[in-house]
Amino acid sequence: MTRISCEQAVQQFFAYLDRGLSGEPLDDLEAHLEACLACCDRLAFSRQLDAFVKSRMPDDAAPAGLEARVRQALGRLATET
Amino acid sequence: MSDAAVTSRPPDRAANEPADERRRFETLALPHLGHVFKVAVRLTGRVEDAEDLVQETYIKAFGAFSTLREPERIRAWLLRILARLAVDRHRSPARELAVGDLAQLDRFSLYDLIWDEDPLPYSDHLHRDFLAQFPDEEVRRALLALPEAYRVPLVLLYTEDLSYRDLAEALGCPVGTVMSRLHRARKILERELWQCAKRRGFVRGHGT
Repeated sequence: MTRISCEQAVQQFFAYLDRGLSGEPLDDLEAHLEACLACCDRLAFSRQLDAFVKSRMPDDAAPAGLEARVRQALGRLATET
Repeated sequence: MSDAAVTSRPPDRAANEPADERRRFETLALPHLGHVFKVAVRLTGRVEDAEDLVQETYIKAFGAFSTLREPERIRAWLLRILARLAVDRHRSPARELAVGDLAQLDRFSLYDLIWDEDPLPYSDHLHRDFLAQFPDEEVRRALLALPEAYRVPLVLLYTEDLSYRDLAEALGCPVGTVMSRLHRARKILERELWQCAKRRGFVRGHGT
């Protein structure tokens, strides 16, 4: 295991949150987090920010006419070919 | 229609029965229209643009239907087509440049800026309360400020919870590119939110 600095730890946060870390880099980061409250706090904010943006994204249902419009376009395509 | 029926179909029948082929496509693909549309709105920010993008996606998908190997994964396949159309459609040099100095961007930390300015001195949850001030439309505007090459992977990650490998496959780029884009996408978002906070008077933001 390698001791990593706060700067190195922060660089790995997004990969960690996205479950994109494994093996030694994951062990190194988790060891750092166990010892560094400041980084835990920063990581918590990154997680919070992800959840915040996710929850504010639009969630519109498809307009009523869209399926008919797509069916029509596919129909036109089929008759052209 | 069962998946087995779809995969065991003799390949030459499609050419003989175009109407059947279209019905087969519609039966498989149209149930996902609502979800594909939801992702399209998140990518484009406008219902009208999302409708166009969805139609374009379905036309392109139908054209490539014979190449679909796993009908049970058609939703992921449709989203892959959607994602690539979204990236290609709006790709322009100006949008790429809007990201600015990458080294400076990588150093940007919304966490530190909030901490340094302490705009809500009576708050016990400074960072959380800072975020709670933003109206929905400002968060959406910040998301739309991202160039497509950054916004598309982030929206797919947030909506589909895909792994880096799946995202790389969807976007047709290496895993390393996906990782750096997702990193920068979040940094650009942080910067946009800070600029918005200054505009709205949530913070003074002197010197930033």
